[in-house]
Amino acid sequence: MIGQFIDGPLWTFSLTVFLIGVVWRIAAILMAGKRPDLATPKGSAGAGALRAVFSRFLPERTVTTQGRLPLIAGYLFHLGLFALLFFAQPHIDFIAEKITGLSWPAMPHWAFIVAAEFAFAGLILLWLHRILHPVTRLLSDLDDHIGAVLVFLVMLTGCLALAQAFEPLRLIHLLSAELLLIYFPFSKLMHAFTFVMSRSYTGATMGRKGVNA
Amino acid sequence: MIRPKILQFDDGDGRSAGWLLLLLILYSLPLDTIAKEPISKDLPAAAVLNPAAELWRDVRQRDQPTTGSTQVRGVDSGVLINAYGDQWRKFRMQQLIPVGGYALMGIVIALAVFYLMRGKVPIEGSESDKKLPRYSTYERMIHWFMASIFLFLAITGLILLFGRPVLIPMLGKEAFSILASACKEGHNLIGPLFLFALILVFSQFVRRNIYQKGDLNWLLKGGGIVGKKHVSSNFFNMGEKTMFWMLVFVGAVIVISGLVLVFPLFGQGREWMELAHVGHAIGALLMIGVIIGHIYIGTIGMQGAIEGMKTGYCDLNWAKEHHDLWAGRAEERGEALSNEEVAQLTHNHPLPSSLGVRTQEAGK
Repeated sequence: MIGQFIDGPLWTFSLTVFLIGVVWRIAAILMAGKRPDLATPKGSAGAGALRAVFSRFLPERTVTTQGRLPLIAGYLFHLGLFALLFFAQPHIDFIAEKITGLSWPAMPHWAFIVAAEFAFAGLILLWLHRILHPVTRLLSDLDDHIGAVLVFLVMLTGCLALAQAFEPLRLIHLLSAELLLIYFPFSKLMHAFTFVMSRSYTGATMGRKGVNA
Repeated sequence: MIRPKILQFDDGDGRSAGWLLLLLILYSLPLDTIAKEPISKDLPAAAVLNPAAELWRDVRQRDQPTTGSTQVRGVDSGVLINAYGDQWRKFRMQQLIPVGGYALMGIVIALAVFYLMRGKVPIEGSESDKKLPRYSTYERMIHWFMASIFLFLAITGLILLFGRPVLIPMLGKEAFSILASACKEGHNLIGPLFLFALILVFSQFVRRNIYQKGDLNWLLKGGGIVGKKHVSSNFFNMGEKTMFWMLVFVGAVIVISGLVLVFPLFGQGREWMELAHVGHAIGALLMIGVIIGHIYIGTIGMQGAIEGMKTGYCDLNWAKEHHDLWAGRAEERGEALSNEEVAQLTHNHPLPSSLGVRTQEAGK
């Protein structure tokens, strides 16, 4: 009964909330527009935007010397999670069956293990940094902690259900993923989609002013 | 010829009486004695050869481990029955689980008794109005990273080891099988992170954990547990240093044996895996026992002990009482900060200009 609910209506509901919420948030940002800049442009806004989108993947030198571990943990987590989400065989099967109908090659088992280790190590270290570093602790609010806990729960329940032998474990994993999908559009987790827009906006503004930022 | 009637079995009237007599005679015979009478030693026992015995002796490979030949390519594919498997199973069921369980319970009970006798060890001079920076954010991060990984592995490992005798009676077999599967998968996947945590902790703390002058004195005086006099100590005392080296060496045994168990990629057979399991379980139980003591001191056992790992700063009086050699040097260097300054640093309030770069986050 509960299993059917998690597999059926709750999945449909959570996916709908996720899709509509993400589209709504992105549309709201795009429709907000930008203030007209009447100054004479001193550089290319487009080039600045493009540069900012990619250059931000490399941190400032001060960051690499002062906070090396959070930097490495950040990359470990994001790359690991991305690989797990889109290239783990069970996820590809699930997406093909429930959403797209399309399938693609999965990563080998050893890569799956490495990605999982990266993702877990990165997330735990990042969350510890968030609560232990006085600056990040002050900057963090409840949303940050809920987001981190939900993502961790999804990863942990997925890890516990790896044997794919027990239906309750699969349902717990799916339920935690559904809760994350519902929470996602209303949280800072939206940065997964908005980071390109925020970087390009800053880059374009600075590029137009001729500032290499 | 006249026969006695009672022997005339075919006679209708005497038949039952005849049977009765026969039964009485049989009953009176010392049949049990006959049954127990040993076979005469003079007579050689008939040698009955079991034609399958030799075959099964070879199959079980009890006399000498031999490997058969097979078309199947793989580790141990030529072994039909692993004779050591039974020894391992008996050790696990009859020694490891009961002895390990009682040992852990014994540690918990001993700490409870100790707590009832000694109570929480207070800071004798009461809390000071000054603090010393003790651990950087990075050090606290890797400590809690190690702690979270260790606790997860310890809980899942204990469920796997003691689940059958302890949890099945409470949860039932079906629920336990789900729990055990979850614990096994979680334990195996998170396990390699312990190696990562161990490397981080080792590289960061090894320099301060090298034994030095005064450590032996700390040990000889029982670390101040017996009696009420505090014993001189450096940044880490002899007990903490010993725990560190146990974590390194026993942790290495746990990691290596765990990798042998989880990744059958190194050509290891069942015997190596049984050996690895024994080493893994004994090492893990040992470290769990030690860490229970560590957690006891950090939480209810001693006032101010966990503060350094929580905030990065420890009370000056606590430092003087438990790590006086280090505290003296730190004070001489002018590292002591007022509680207000520490509150501002840890909560990121605006810094007093006098502090300058004397913040822990600036690399102290």
